[in-house]
Amino acid sequence: MAFVFETSVFWDTFPMLMRGLKLTVQIAVGGLFFGFILGSLAGLMKLARSLVVRKLAGVYVEAIRGTPMLVQAMFLYYGVPMAVGVRISPITAGIIIIAVNSGAYIAEIVRGAVQSINPGQVEAGRSIGLTRTQTMLYVVWPQALKRMIPPLGNQFIISLKDTSLLMVIGVGELMRTGQEITSVNFRAFEVYLAVACVYLVMTLSIAQGMKMLEKKLNTSRR
Amino acid sequence: MINIKNLHKNFGDLKVIKGIDLHVKSGEVVCIIGPSGSGKSTVLRCINKLEVPSSGSIAVDGHDIMDKQTNINEVRAEAGMVFQQFNLFPHMSILENVTLGPIKVRNMSKTDADELGVKLLEKVGLKDKAENYPDQLSGGQKQRVAIARSLALQPKVILFDEPTSALDPELVGEVLDVMQKLAKEGMTMVVVTHEMGFAKEVADRVIFIDEGVIQEEGAPDNFFSNPKNPRLKDFLGKVVSHL
Repeated sequence: MAFVFETSVFWDTFPMLMRGLKLTVQIAVGGLFFGFILGSLAGLMKLARSLVVRKLAGVYVEAIRGTPMLVQAMFLYYGVPMAVGVRISPITAGIIIIAVNSGAYIAEIVRGAVQSINPGQVEAGRSIGLTRTQTMLYVVWPQALKRMIPPLGNQFIISLKDTSLLMVIGVGELMRTGQEITSVNFRAFEVYLAVACVYLVMTLSIAQGMKMLEKKLNTSRR
Repeated sequence: MINIKNLHKNFGDLKVIKGIDLHVKSGEVVCIIGPSGSGKSTVLRCINKLEVPSSGSIAVDGHDIMDKQTNINEVRAEAGMVFQQFNLFPHMSILENVTLGPIKVRNMSKTDADELGVKLLEKVGLKDKAENYPDQLSGGQKQRVAIARSLALQPKVILFDEPTSALDPELVGEVLDVMQKLAKEGMTMVVVTHEMGFAKEVADRVIFIDEGVIQEEGAPDNFFSNPKNPRLKDFLGKVVSHL
């Protein structure tokens, strides 16, 4: 029996994916928002004077980078509630997992960007009487932020795609919605192709958005 | 104004400063010369504690910088610094470069700081560049902005760390002119420099540092025309022979 591409099934899949898409976007945006805060904090901690603080951030980064996100998701959603007795909704769990996971990678991006700023900038800031914190806030951070944009865009794309793994903890996001549709119509080819198209449109949009942001910051000075 | 006693500074096993005493009076212009690697920049950087002295004592306007009770940020605001590489903040406009200190360190309002900033930019001849950014300026212009930036804190002394060494030869004059103007106005200045002409003309006192100690010091007239220390003779000979 020859395979026939069902064009109508392909197109009809898109409206059905909308609810899952909404969740995917919510989790990705929420997760990356907190992930950026967490990552900035951990990245700056890696540059702290105190060895304890540096080690603490180091352990976090290594533990997350060294384990699969799938395991982290299962552990947080099924494992942790057993230990602490508090159940969280799959969506909240999804946001936490994306935040904690992306935070570890963003920490390294932040550390690298801050370290790449010429030490003369810090000396100039300190020499006019700014405190360490003020120097970071007004002199180093704005310059580092600009250098973070390309690798951050990369991480945003990776994390967006990683939300698909959250289907295992029952988050009705894009991937899971696609799976549910196939379980009814058995048209895996058309449905997953549609799912892939939706992811591709989102990741290309992020890449394009980051490119434009970078260009804007370049022309309107650093 | 500045009182350095028996200053030592080591970088690991390397002894860079081996016991320097230096007293700079209010209103005095002191030029420090010496071969590269002699430790002259390190002395300067110890004064505002960008380098932490290994031993000895340094007082700036009566504040002992080695004392844990001293707020080093306040001392730094009183002792401005101008760097060889300018170190302007590239993400800020020229005016913002100058007003950052007054606003954040002196808690001045933005309006007052802008007024002060424009006045200082006028003083260094760059009022029309206020809205530009550092990468649109020549090296000489950048260094003049850096001088305005340190003046904005209304410091009691300014430390110049080879301020013209990174400049194209034709841009050196404009920076030295601004520095000479400051000296005439009575600003206390410590200048690490290779500009012998400037030292001769503007300095009240010239200091020759080599191998981490002061080898000779004196008023510029005697210092340049009649050097006693053999190292200084050799150094001046090398510098002058190329003129």
